[in-house]
Amino acid sequence: MRVADKMNHAQVINNLNKNRSELSKFQNQAATQKRITKPSDDPLGAARIMESRTEIQGLTQYEKNILSTKAFIEFSEQSLGEVGELLIRAKELAVQQASDGASGPETRRMVAQEINQIFKQMVNIGNRKFGDRFLFAGYNTLQAPFDMTGKYHGDDAEMEVPIDKGAKMAMNIPGSKVFLGKQIGEPIGPSRDIDPNLMEDNSPPMLPSEALRGPASLNPTQQPTDYWGPKAVNIFSTLEALEIGLKTNDKMAIQSSLDFLDDSMSQINLARAELGSRASVLNTGLDTIQKLQVDSKVLESDIEDVDMFELVNNLSRTQNQLEASLTTSGKMIQNSLLDFLR
Amino acid sequence: MAQISSLMSVGRRSMMNSQTGLHTVGHNIANKETEGYSRQRTETHSNMAMGEGKVRIGMGARAATVERTNNPYLEKQIGHERSELATAQGRQQGLSRLEGIYNEQTVEGFNKSLGEFFNAFRELATNPESMPRRTAVKAAAEALTNDFHNMNSQLNDVSKDINSQLAISVNELNSYSNEIAALNKQIQEVEIGGGYANDERDRRDLLLKKLGEVVDIKWTEGEDSTVTVSTANDALLVVGSTASHLDAVASPAREGKGEGDFDIVYYHNDYAQPITLSDRIQGGRLGGLLSVRSGELQTLKNDMDRLAYTITTEVNQAHGQGFNAYNQTGVMFFDHLNDPQGAAEYMKVSSHIASDSGRVAVGRDPHKPGDNRVALEIAELQYAKPVFGGSQSIDEFYNGIIGELGIKNQAINRQVDVKHNIVTQLNNLRESISGVSLDEEAAKMIEMQKHFDAAARLIRTADEIMETVINIKRY
Repeated sequence: MRVADKMNHAQVINNLNKNRSELSKFQNQAATQKRITKPSDDPLGAARIMESRTEIQGLTQYEKNILSTKAFIEFSEQSLGEVGELLIRAKELAVQQASDGASGPETRRMVAQEINQIFKQMVNIGNRKFGDRFLFAGYNTLQAPFDMTGKYHGDDAEMEVPIDKGAKMAMNIPGSKVFLGKQIGEPIGPSRDIDPNLMEDNSPPMLPSEALRGPASLNPTQQPTDYWGPKAVNIFSTLEALEIGLKTNDKMAIQSSLDFLDDSMSQINLARAELGSRASVLNTGLDTIQKLQVDSKVLESDIEDVDMFELVNNLSRTQNQLEASLTTSGKMIQNSLLDFLR
Repeated sequence: MAQISSLMSVGRRSMMNSQTGLHTVGHNIANKETEGYSRQRTETHSNMAMGEGKVRIGMGARAATVERTNNPYLEKQIGHERSELATAQGRQQGLSRLEGIYNEQTVEGFNKSLGEFFNAFRELATNPESMPRRTAVKAAAEALTNDFHNMNSQLNDVSKDINSQLAISVNELNSYSNEIAALNKQIQEVEIGGGYANDERDRRDLLLKKLGEVVDIKWTEGEDSTVTVSTANDALLVVGSTASHLDAVASPAREGKGEGDFDIVYYHNDYAQPITLSDRIQGGRLGGLLSVRSGELQTLKNDMDRLAYTITTEVNQAHGQGFNAYNQTGVMFFDHLNDPQGAAEYMKVSSHIASDSGRVAVGRDPHKPGDNRVALEIAELQYAKPVFGGSQSIDEFYNGIIGELGIKNQAINRQVDVKHNIVTQLNNLRESISGVSLDEEAAKMIEMQKHFDAAARLIRTADEIMETVINIKRY
């Protein structure tokens, strides 16, 4: 083949360009530690990296949501724990006063005072805030859910918070459920005047005021025999009935309130159990999310990070190639017949 | 019967031949670096022999022609491949700009603001009463609209860039057409007299290749040695010694606005109506750029508009049903958009929201500060499938754009490499045939020099013989 000078030069330039652009590519990879610096380096990989980044971004937010939901739930649970203790104290007092052995009208009147205190404390707990928000007010979070008579001003809503793609978790238990027994089960026990607007669907029936005095077991309409599920109790009216019983020295009323106090305690325990199970779901969710975050990052790194061993190998190989090109090019360009003519 | 005088004239012609040869060698060496140059060779023919019968004496040689060493078919093929390479390079240039806009591999971009926008609503859902979180939603929305505007204006920049390149390329193309027309005339004049217009033909071949790099052309050489060049199917650029011109003019959409696209138009003659060629140009750098402009660039702009429109309307729909801190309902989160056209440019957080983040609606019922259902609904839009009739979610749609751009760029890069290799190989082949080799020219130079020496020696010998003849009488 006839070799013209331009061919030599073009070849030399071509080869050097090729070597140098390859070298610069590897050098760029070494500097960024990334195999993909633009989508065309690996379109599928690039799209997967984007997906994985969105995933991580979402997971980070869900992690934050879980942590704040968890704090809210744990605080609610702790508050209900205090409610439980108050109820235990109320029951102790009621048991003491249920018989005539250790008490009389005088002591009962004094104990009524303490029950009144417990009632007030209960209202305070019902109005407890987490930050600026009332724990037990449903959606009505900026207004105290209970007034001093134990009347409820919140609603029955549960605030749902996204805790994973497509998964939501309620962060609150409305006060109407915990304290008034709404939405729990068959309503029993003494009731009281409650704003009918706030108690729509399965609100406890308005009972005649005589019912304040008779034990529940005496009234067959209040506790159907074929019903065995959780019983819905209005804790405030239970305490109020006890207080009235104590004040009026009504032993029967005190005795009947014992049952309602037990039911109140199980109502609180039910709510605590629900909160507890939510918290444990959140804990599991948190673990999963943290693991997913790591997994996504590993995946991202697998796709876009360079393999250092391979890169170093490639770098030294192209370096050698470039040197070889330069050496041979120098020799090839120099030689000419003209150098040998004298 | 050999004459001494004819011996002298054989020597003299021989000297002249070698001088012509040396001249050609010089011309070759001088044009070694000239682009498109084909090496030339002096062809000598032996002269008619003299004498009768069995004694016919050769009368030396004469320089018959100076011809270029060239393979016209190869030249045409190179022209074709260079044109295709230029098409691919034009597309590559446009596509790599577009890729740059959507490149989020090493920097944070649109995808992140999109995620943050929805995350802000998710965060708000955990604490719907919080003003700082509402403000964060507003800020995230403003960042998102800013990103839409940025992407849109970057896409417009690419469009402007392509348009200004069109205008420049048209000038380049017209100057090539003019020169080809002029060369047509020169070549015709030279070759009608029987000569070879070597250098002019080299130049014309080169210009045809360069013209082919600007637009896709077809050309044929006629009997009269002139080439006829046409582009975009049937627009004649050069016929004989006249050239028609292309021009870049404002498209109807651009008219009077200072922004928008240029159209390429063709004037058959100075008085003819312009014919728009923009849609018909398929190849060359112009074809590549035009295909990106009317294809990928337009698609991306439509996609961004579609995305902006979808987010605006879906968010507004959810938001409009909610109640804000003032217990107002029906407040738009983004300014209302009538249709997707230009949505990426006009998308804007509504002035109500921008001036007071208390107007962000979070709940579905009035007077319920803890109601977070609207925030939940908006956050879920990220994974819902509202784009393009519900086949893709917003995320999937945007990531799909990036994947597709990546694939297109990868393909065009590969195509440019392949075409580049082909052109290099063909160029090598051409140089192997037509290129100047200094070794060869040096050898030729020595050969010619020796030839010249020998011819001179011949004349001296003839001279001596002549002298001998003249001196016969003295002895």
